[in-house]
Amino acid sequence: MNFSLYKQMMKVNMKGVMNYAVGAAFYIFLVVWIYPSMEKTAKPLNDMLNAMPAGMTKAFNLQNGFGSFESFISGEFYGLLFTLIVSIFCVMIPTQLMAKLVDQGSMAYLLSTPTTRGKVAFTQASVFLTGLFLISAITTACGILGVRIFIDANSFHADRFIQLNLAAFALFVALGGISFLVSSLSNDEKKAMGTSGMIIFGFYSLDIIGKISEKVDWLRDFTIFTLYKPAEVVNGKGDLLQNCIILFAVGLIAFIVSILVFRKRDLPL
Amino acid sequence: MLTVQNLTKKFSNGKGIFDVSFSVKKGEVFGFLGPNGAGKSTTIRHIMGFMKPDQGYVKVNGLDTWQKQGEVQKYIGYLPGEIAFIEGMTGKGFLDFMAELQGVRDLSKRNELIERLQFDINTPIRKMSKGMKQKVGIVAAFMHDPEVIILDEPTSGLDPLMQKVFIEIVLEEKAKGKTFLMSSHSFPEIERTCDRAAIIKDGIVIAVKDIHELQSMQRKLFEVTFNNKEDAKTFLNSSLQIDSYEGNRVRVAIQGNYDSFIEETAKYHVRNIAIFTQNLEDVFMNYYDRSGASK
Ligand SMILES: Nc1ncnc2c1ncn2[C@@H]1O[C@H](COP(=O)(O)OP(=O)(O)OP(=O)(O)O)[C@@H](O)[C@H]1O
Ligand SMILES: [Mg+2]
Repeated sequence: MNFSLYKQMMKVNMKGVMNYAVGAAFYIFLVVWIYPSMEKTAKPLNDMLNAMPAGMTKAFNLQNGFGSFESFISGEFYGLLFTLIVSIFCVMIPTQLMAKLVDQGSMAYLLSTPTTRGKVAFTQASVFLTGLFLISAITTACGILGVRIFIDANSFHADRFIQLNLAAFALFVALGGISFLVSSLSNDEKKAMGTSGMIIFGFYSLDIIGKISEKVDWLRDFTIFTLYKPAEVVNGKGDLLQNCIILFAVGLIAFIVSILVFRKRDLPL
Repeated sequence: MLTVQNLTKKFSNGKGIFDVSFSVKKGEVFGFLGPNGAGKSTTIRHIMGFMKPDQGYVKVNGLDTWQKQGEVQKYIGYLPGEIAFIEGMTGKGFLDFMAELQGVRDLSKRNELIERLQFDINTPIRKMSKGMKQKVGIVAAFMHDPEVIILDEPTSGLDPLMQKVFIEIVLEEKAKGKTFLMSSHSFPEIERTCDRAAIIKDGIVIAVKDIHELQSMQRKLFEVTFNNKEDAKTFLNSSLQIDSYEGNRVRVAIQGNYDSFIEETAKYHVRNIAIFTQNLEDVFMNYYDRSGASK
């Protein structure tokens, strides 16, 4: 770890991180705010959901219906909006932290000083994880705050809500790790962004298609989104711990491999 | 101090550098000359340990620059050929950051360099002119007082006055025993600072020579304007190598034989003498032709 580099990179990327955090916080407030009015119409909405094909509701994580706040937020926010927002973050920031510096050539300056490539890659990974952690923490805090403000909090399961955020964090560590690996292997910023974007949204699409149609359910064996089940987490069902461990392990391995390949790679600086 | 040995790197497009070898002694200023795309920057990228050689190695201070990446950099100052800074910084922000990475505490050298190169360090880098950016890069390469300084086209973008200041700085550092490798397209720039130079073309080093030897190799064209056409005509019959003539103007090619040129021209009334220094490309071509012919 190189602290000067860490400090500098946090400074450069803080604005980007904050944009995502503010965006996520804004949406969770919005979702929490509209919940009370949705709750009143929950019955007809649930009837409507029941009338929809099961695959459809499952695809968008709505199988819990709108009956309780946790199921509503797991479907509306953690099942869709938050996943999309932070997935974009997981494509953009790792690309900027590695591939962009190589593409532009400013990596040459970092490597012309007595710091090793391993340290540079490790520091950049830490910058990404710090950013991701900030976004997750701010979103969690804003969610809890929103519940306090807008909703009668008696029926709110804070522990489940935090588990939900943990599950999401684990997913993003894995996604970010994959994208960081692509970025560490790439000399071209645009290609790195395109490739990790394709991988991550490819995974996402496989998951959705697999859920919509029973026939291609096997597609879900090929995507890590399968390990992220917001609807089950809020019901206390499913194996949260095991899924989180696998996702963290995927992320960890990806980051380690990134550092190793970057140490031995030819750089056209 | 710096050894490049059988360095070979072939890119997928067939370009690259092939079997490049030379060494630079401590306290020596070594020029690296070649036209665009010759492989100067590629060689320098290997020296910096950014690229992995297909064959051969580079050693600085006895350390292999590919294997000891991060360690050799303690001894090296580097100015990249294509300067790219991290976004969103001022000149001062960047130099502070580099000083931290280089582990420099004493900022007196940096401040002295900034003073001499005369630029405003508080300007955001993205608003800087090419020359200003180059100055920031030069300060970053010198400020930690490294033993070996690698400069990829250091004077590009600098105005003549600043080129002069730059050359003074190099000569002062040289006097302190620093070792230099600098690439360039321009022979005059190398001429003023370097002890020896390598000439590279299409990835192959075609000569490593003493700078005086290179100077004598350089062919100069003199355009002599005579008072009358008759004189010009008789002048053509001298033993000097005539490049071209028109009316009372004659172009003579001189390579070292200044004495006979002066003797010959002194016989006539001369209205004007203009000099055309051969550009680097022509020096190469000349060298090529000669070395080709002697084989
Ligand atoms: N990463 C790369 N992949 C493929 N070809 C490359 C790569 N880097 C350099 N080349 C090619 O190798 C040759 C040498 O390039 P290099 O940048 O070393 O030249 P140079 O001598 O520094 O030229 P200039 O004076 O223009 O800076 C060029 O033909 C270039 O196109
Ligand atoms: Mg170059």
